[in-house]
Amino acid sequence: MHKIWAVIRREFVERVRTRAFLLSTILFPLFMAAMVVIPGFLMSRSTGTQRLAMVDATSDQLGQRMAASLSAARIGRGEAAPPRYVVTRIPAADRAVAVRDSLLPMTGRSRKLEGFEGILVVTDSTVTQGKAEYFGANVASFDDMRELEQTIRPIVIGRRLEGLGVDLDQVMKSVQGIDLVTNKVADGKLTGESGAATFALAYAMGFILYFSLLIFGTQVMNSIVEEKNNRIVEILASSLTPFQMMLGKVVGVGLVALLQIGIWAGAATFFSANQAKILGALGIASTGGTPLSFPAMGPGLLIVFLVFFSLGFLLYAAMYAAVGAMSSTTQDAGQLQMPVMMFVLVGFFSVFALIRDPNGTAAHVLSFVPMLTPFVIPMRYSISPLPILELFTAIAVTVLGLLAVVWIAARIYRVGILSYGKKASMRDMIRWIRTA
Amino acid sequence: MNGSVVKVEEVTKRFAGHTAVERLSLEVPGGGIFGLLGPNGAGKSTTIRMIMNIITPDQGRISVLGSASSRALSGRIGYLPEERGLYKKMKVVDQLTFFGEAKGITRKTARVKAGEWLGRLGISDWAVKKVEDLSKGMQQKVQFIGALLHEPDLVILDEPFSGLDPVNSQVMKDVVVDIARQGKTVLFSTHIMEQAEKMCDRIVIISRGRKVVDGSLAEVKRDFGGRHVALTFTRNAERAGRVLADRSLVAKLDDYGATAEVELAAPGDPDRLLQTLVREEVGLARFEVVEASLQSIFIAKVGVEAATAPAKETVHA
Repeated sequence: MHKIWAVIRREFVERVRTRAFLLSTILFPLFMAAMVVIPGFLMSRSTGTQRLAMVDATSDQLGQRMAASLSAARIGRGEAAPPRYVVTRIPAADRAVAVRDSLLPMTGRSRKLEGFEGILVVTDSTVTQGKAEYFGANVASFDDMRELEQTIRPIVIGRRLEGLGVDLDQVMKSVQGIDLVTNKVADGKLTGESGAATFALAYAMGFILYFSLLIFGTQVMNSIVEEKNNRIVEILASSLTPFQMMLGKVVGVGLVALLQIGIWAGAATFFSANQAKILGALGIASTGGTPLSFPAMGPGLLIVFLVFFSLGFLLYAAMYAAVGAMSSTTQDAGQLQMPVMMFVLVGFFSVFALIRDPNGTAAHVLSFVPMLTPFVIPMRYSISPLPILELFTAIAVTVLGLLAVVWIAARIYRVGILSYGKKASMRDMIRWIRTA
Repeated sequence: MNGSVVKVEEVTKRFAGHTAVERLSLEVPGGGIFGLLGPNGAGKSTTIRMIMNIITPDQGRISVLGSASSRALSGRIGYLPEERGLYKKMKVVDQLTFFGEAKGITRKTARVKAGEWLGRLGISDWAVKKVEDLSKGMQQKVQFIGALLHEPDLVILDEPFSGLDPVNSQVMKDVVVDIARQGKTVLFSTHIMEQAEKMCDRIVIISRGRKVVDGSLAEVKRDFGGRHVALTFTRNAERAGRVLADRSLVAKLDDYGATAEVELAAPGDPDRLLQTLVREEVGLARFEVVEASLQSIFIAKVGVEAATAPAKETVHA
């Protein structure tokens, strides 16, 4: 036991000390922070009141109505909120283009206090063909443009409906859509989660396992190949049993994975929880929407996830260890790991396939395939908690699968690590398992 | 310690294409220094790997410290493999601590011992450097410490002196001798006969996987016979050459020009050789009947042809 600890500690400490670990641990949260801030930047809007020139070439009262509607728009809610627009309506009759051209030199000036921020040109065709033109410096701001459009649209629609003899208010009432609010109920209780959040959570858990297996499983494999190549294995093999060597390595690397993912998850939670504050501190007004949000994870689900993550990691890492032991170069290992990778991919994609029917027959069956259980159970549990019996059966099945894999892997390992020079064939592998 | 510490009985190991070790038997008694000698590719490393239970023999039995599995006793055995291996990115002291722990001593003890050994071998300043920053000689010292840190009863060293400069070689030799003096057993392999001659109490010479010589150094030399004469010439060395070429006098000649070592054709003939040399007016600074050097015994027993190694041995399951 003491010896396994020594191996685990060595693997953990030496990995955590590397520059690569430090960089990836720091860069990922930076990336997360960027994900929070950059959409905020992209969606930022002009914060102050805009001076708007409206070239009114409409023949009836449409222009006045629009001007009134625009002047009524406020930044934020409440009576005291500052107006969104200060509108200067310039009647232009049929000289819209000439008036616009005369206004252009006064528009979008770098000195903010002069002229206009934008020119809105409305004509009779705004009603007939739904066309209006805007000229300004802020045309790239989606929010500004959307808001301007939303402010004048009802006026235009109202005018059209008037032409048809229909009352605008009645129409607005009758076309009112329904807003389907999704609320997740689990075990007869409201969880306060929405449908989208539930899906995101199931997906995120599958992705974390998938990602960790590919990254850290490969690390286990490559470090064994490396130990073979610089012949440390001879020293290790004269001191430790193959089982101790393999378990120590797999657990050590697994702990590194947990640490790194823990740091990342912590950073992600922090940034998404404090997104508004961070954006505020950077001088970006929050748009109200959340471009990036992480679903909350209940303690039950967290435990289930950790249990199955650990079992899954050990199961797959043992396979990667066996692959490493069978190879003499990392290229060999790259080829030999294909079957293991197939299982990882199947497991990951089964999450997508089963999420539509998490309690169907397929989901039940795949819950008891040891290679897939670590992917399937947390996903199912996140949607609706499983019966305790089913949960423990799944754990038992995975543990049995794990023991079988470790037993086979250890046998391949004990022969493989000391065989150099050639890539092991399938026949070699079977011989090793039988004779070791 | 009494009885044999390592016992190899009728062991055979074949690799694809050739037999590395054939029906080899040897016994290493407790205490002292045991030399496993042989030319390159003779099967020394294969034998040692089998003793270490890293590879298994095809036939025969091996017991170490009275047990069939050396791994269970790994704490009592120290092993320096032929192909050195260290974690390149690890600090020297961390590495040694880990090796000690892997052998079953506590972390704290391992750290203390590592410090002591690094001091003894004069590389304390490098304790917190990464292994990759060390010279090859220093890395070898680190590897050497790794084999001795846990104070094993049996130390097995595969080619411990290869690639070392004379100064470091001397330091390591002193350590090995010191270990043996403490009553521990050292088994080491080498193809450098001068070293073995100075250090070993007992030797086994193997060639092409078979044992050709076995015994204490004194026995081996006595059995080989005192028919050797060492000569140093001062003048007329070319006439001496003619005398020494006479097959009725000299069976074998190892000629270095100004000096020569000869094996007489029949025992008791040194007088006749001396008379002949004097008659030919060869100037002699030295004429000494000597024990055969291990080098000459080695050459005689192994033969020149065996010194050309077969293809490099590889380990297969």
